[in-house]
Amino acid sequence: MHELGVIIEVVKYVEDFAKKNKLTKIDTLVLQIGELSAMIPRYIEACYPAAVDGTMLQDTQLKIEILPANAICRECGSVFNVIQNNKVCPNCKSEVWELLCGREFMIKEIVAY
Amino acid sequence: MNTYKIIEIKESIFSNNDRQADKLREELKNKKTFLLNLMSSPGSGKTTTVLRTIEALKDEMKIGVMEADIDSDVDASLVAKTGAKVIQLHTGGMCHLDADMTKQGLDALEADGLDLVILENVGNLVCPAEFDTGSSKNAMILSVPEGDDKPLKYPLMFSVVDVLLINKIDAMCIFDFDIEKVKERVKKLNPNIKVIPISAKTGEGFDEWIDWLRNEVKAWKE
Repeated sequence: MHELGVIIEVVKYVEDFAKKNKLTKIDTLVLQIGELSAMIPRYIEACYPAAVDGTMLQDTQLKIEILPANAICRECGSVFNVIQNNKVCPNCKSEVWELLCGREFMIKEIVAY
Repeated sequence: MNTYKIIEIKESIFSNNDRQADKLREELKNKKTFLLNLMSSPGSGKTTTVLRTIEALKDEMKIGVMEADIDSDVDASLVAKTGAKVIQLHTGGMCHLDADMTKQGLDALEADGLDLVILENVGNLVCPAEFDTGSSKNAMILSVPEGDDKPLKYPLMFSVVDVLLINKIDAMCIFDFDIEKVKERVKKLNPNIKVIPISAKTGEGFDEWIDWLRNEVKAWKE
C-alpha cells in the first residue's frame, strides 16, 4: 500500500502551489494516472479523504483521468494499446515496441479561485 | 463574485522525488560515497548476500548498511556483527523507500567518510522500482526458487537495475529454473544489464560480483 504516502505528497505540493499563487479555495484537483502506473485509481480515491483531512484541500473534489498504455511498434510503426493487445502489435504481431505513455502519475490541473 | 479558473500544473508526482534523488546523488558524488540500492523479493537472500559482500570488501573500504524493513531489526543485528556500520530504517508500512527517506537514513547512519553504503530496500519487486532513491547504482537479486518467469511478471524492476544477481544457484538442480531463459527475458527488457549467477551460501560467483562492485566504487570516486 503506497497510495496514501504518495497522495500526501500530492496534497503538500498542491497546498504549496496554492500558497505561492495566492489561491484561497481549490474546488477540484485533477490527476492523470497511466494504466501502467503502480498507482491504483480506486485506492487513490479510497485514501484521498484521509490525506486531505485538516488541509486546505479538505473540501476539494478529486478527479482522476486515466491515460492509456499506448506503444509504437518498432517494426511497422502502428500505435496500439499494450494492455488490450497483450503486448503484441495487432498489425504485424511484433513484440518489439516502445511505450509512448501509460506510466504517468501527474497533477494535471486544479480548479481554484 | 468569485470566478473559478483552471490552473494547469502538469507536474509529475515522481518528478519531485526525482529532483531530490538527483540532488542526493550529487552530494554523494562530492563526498565520494557510493550508494548501492539493492532490491529483491522477501526471502531471496539479500541479507546473506550483503553479509558475504561485506566480508569480501571490509579490508579495503569503509562500508555502511541501511536495512529498510516494515518492522523488526533482525537483519540489522546480523549485519552489525560484521563490524560494518548499520542502521535499521522502519518504513512504517510503506512498501518502498523514496529519496527523502534515503537521505534521512544516510544522515542517521552518519555516512560521511564511508566508501560504500548498501541500501537493502524493502523486499518487494513492485514499488521500489518506481522510486529513485538517489543511489549510484541499482542492483537486484532474483533467487532460483522464485522462478524464471519473474522478468515477465515484474518487467519494470528488471528494466531499471544495472546488475542482476541470480542467487541460490547451488539449489538449481532441485528447481525448474532455466537460467538461459531468464537472461534472454531480461536482456530484452534491459540490453545493458549485467547478469551474475551467485550463491550467497557457498560463495560461488562472488568473485565476479565483488569485482563489479569494486570497480563501480572506484569509478564513482574519480
